Amino acid sequence: MTITQLPSTHEGGRPSPPSGNLCRPVGFAEAIDVAGLVDSANGLIDRAVFTDRRLYDQEQARVFATSWLFLGHVDQLQKAGDFFTTFMGEDPVIVTKDKAGAIRAFLNSCRHRGARVLRADYGATRAFTCTYHGWSYDLEGKLISVPNETGYPQDSWDRAAWGLLEVAQLDTVLGLVFATWNPKAPPLLEQLGDMKWYMDAFLDRDSEGTTIVGGITKWVLKGNWKLAAEQFATDWYHVNMSHASALMVLSPTGRGPKADIINTPGRQYSDVRGNGAGFPTHPRSRFDAQPVHRYYDYEQLRSRLGDARVEGPMTTGHATVFPNFSYLPVNGSVRVWHPKGPDEMEVWAWTVLDKSMPEDVRNAQRLYNLRTFGPSGIFEQDDGENWSEIQAISHGWRTNTVPLNYQMGIGSERDDGLYPGSTSDLYSDAAGRRFYARWAELMNEPAWHEVGE
Amino acid sequence: MSDEGIVVARVEDVPDGEAIRIDAAVTGTVDAIAVFNDGGDFFALDDTCSHEKASLADGWIEDGVVECPLHAGKFCLKDGAVLSMPATRDVACHQVIIDGADIRIVPNPDRLQ
Repeated sequence: MTITQLPSTHEGGRPSPPSGNLCRPVGFAEAIDVAGLVDSANGLIDRAVFTDRRLYDQEQARVFATSWLFLGHVDQLQKAGDFFTTFMGEDPVIVTKDKAGAIRAFLNSCRHRGARVLRADYGATRAFTCTYHGWSYDLEGKLISVPNETGYPQDSWDRAAWGLLEVAQLDTVLGLVFATWNPKAPPLLEQLGDMKWYMDAFLDRDSEGTTIVGGITKWVLKGNWKLAAEQFATDWYHVNMSHASALMVLSPTGRGPKADIINTPGRQYSDVRGNGAGFPTHPRSRFDAQPVHRYYDYEQLRSRLGDARVEGPMTTGHATVFPNFSYLPVNGSVRVWHPKGPDEMEVWAWTVLDKSMPEDVRNAQRLYNLRTFGPSGIFEQDDGENWSEIQAISHGWRTNTVPLNYQMGIGSERDDGLYPGSTSDLYSDAAGRRFYARWAELMNEPAWHEVGE
Repeated sequence: MSDEGIVVARVEDVPDGEAIRIDAAVTGTVDAIAVFNDGGDFFALDDTCSHEKASLADGWIEDGVVECPLHAGKFCLKDGAVLSMPATRDVACHQVIIDGADIRIVPNPDRLQ
């Protein structure tokens, strides 16, 4: 697939909102030094990172405001005027296709009194009109209509200065749309680095690319968003314990998969940008849903993706692109963990399919994902139960002040010559340590919007 | 064949559920004219919404009504009568004649330049 970079704003052309005499006072959002809360070298995490409201607010300004964030799949937008809404951190955004066919993303908040200018989850429109007073914006975010416009001081009123705020950068990779508010963020492919090699194993199996099952499944979960993001980066460890009953139900014998499957070795990728992916390795790695298994030509996949990918990250496994985008290749599940306060997240999940799959195979893959992940998925419910359980007790003083253990596999990271970048054994907290190291690095660094131009 | 009115478009130019905008210079009117196709029935109204500056040809067409794309004011396609706030004034309507494959407009005499 070709990667198209569609910078929504051009260098130097970024309008800064009129601010008059407004200026937030020094110390208004005092940053907390998190160096003492994350000890990635020794694999220790202070539980305040999951519970503290001040850290949560700082995270919005320094992690979500600076990072590339997942918005959706390119197939959600077909024609000019098609749109969907999502969140970047807690910020509501509109993602749309403009008249020139470019994907654009805008803050979904009217510049007048701040209400959302679009309330629907998805659809098609010709303009974005605020339902409060009727300010209207076109598909390029330009303010095009202001009822009673003559009421504004005619010598100073500049309608062009009051368009919708646009993201600083937007790019697509492997059919996925990402954007960032950060004009200085390195290109998306640089943020992914070796991670893209692992993503290819899931999203580039088909030369035609991917598509999605219509509709996004959304649910609310008690739990800090990092619990989920971290697990998808680093945690194969929980599988045989947490998912024991699900694994048994799905196995032909009812007693669980064969020992050599359960005890298969594997690798876990991690990088200093906070990305992580883990996967069992097996020479006869297979897709679980039978019609999907029969559909694939594994020899052809080997020539397309190479043996290492086919025997590893192509099927069973987990991954997180820092900070809050995760996926499961064998299930075709991609999801974003939207933060909703320190104690709550919203999970938005898509089912991704190869474009070339015939209808019966698509249906089999959709049902397989539905049964395993998503709100009705038997594995997903195990995971949600764990995260909510952790969060529910974590505000207790004694509980909150006892450090958590992220020490598995310390020092085991290496370049194994087979899997790109740094990998450890499958059972490892390496990607978790790097996830929190990256989080702490961003939390302690004044963000682009704090340092000025 | 008819020689009444002005040929402004061909029927195939206006698919069902859509509208086109005819420049005022073509019809000699004070406003552009929006030509609508609602389920095979054709209608013509002044293009500019009577509430704020918006093109009704960009509006949403359904059940004999056009809804303004900006503020959702509604107008009857048959006679231009206003049907919904925030719009409060009617828009002028024009006669449409389907002449074979041609769409002809007879401009409302009150709206001629």
